[in-house]
Amino acid sequence: MKRSYVGVILLAAILMMNIVFTQLVVHQYYYENYGVTLLYAGLNVLLFPVALFIYKKEKNKGGSKGYEERNLS
Amino acid sequence: MSDRNNKIPYDEDNYTHNINRNNERMLDRRGFMKTLAGAAGVFAVSTLPWGAVAAKELMGLGDKEYPHQKIADVKDVKVGDSVKFHFPSEHDSAILIRLSENKYVAYQNACTHLRCPVYWVKDEQEMICPCHHGKFDASTGAPTAGPPRRPLPGIEVEVKDEAIYAVRVKRYEA
Repeated sequence: MKRSYVGVILLAAILMMNIVFTQLVVHQYYYENYGVTLLYAGLNVLLFPVALFIYKKEKNKGGSKGYEERNLS
Repeated sequence: MSDRNNKIPYDEDNYTHNINRNNERMLDRRGFMKTLAGAAGVFAVSTLPWGAVAAKELMGLGDKEYPHQKIADVKDVKVGDSVKFHFPSEHDSAILIRLSENKYVAYQNACTHLRCPVYWVKDEQEMICPCHHGKFDASTGAPTAGPPRRPLPGIEVEVKDEAIYAVRVKRYEA
């Protein structure tokens, strides 16, 4: 069975960026840099559609058939 | 008797272990990616409140002015005396101290350690929290001794027509 780990790696990277941005949002809020807080919060929100896009694009790669198709017969 | 737990039950119509799971709980590559994308969504949603409060601060809604409240007449407060009052709501106890002829300071007097009421000791020129002997500097509100680590929130006061008014709560600065 062929494997495709590109999507997994990309999504893991996005999740890592999410964690970093969330931390930055909290820190910058307490440093009272509210503009920067908004910037990072916006980036964090934007990462979600990107993650969805990557998921949709990558979910059928790898094996020859998807999970549902494999189990139909 | 020792092998009574090792016996395989005889074959019969089995009503309790007849569930064929068919690998439906298996976490495959796609399921893992779905989890990652979902976690990204959770992070996105969880930063929204921070963005909201930051936007609120940027628009200046945090620095709100309350209706001016008369604390006392100037002639009733001698230099070195203190007056208790409540500001901005009746549940926020506060204290006004006249440090010199023209210098008034006011703080919300809930101790920043465990919110005991802080009072003014005239002889020692210090604000003292009786619960754990926290002390605060009267001119700045900064903690000087004991458990509290954060300053008392200051209240801006204004002297007008021989009376002292509370105007607004100062921005909290750690």
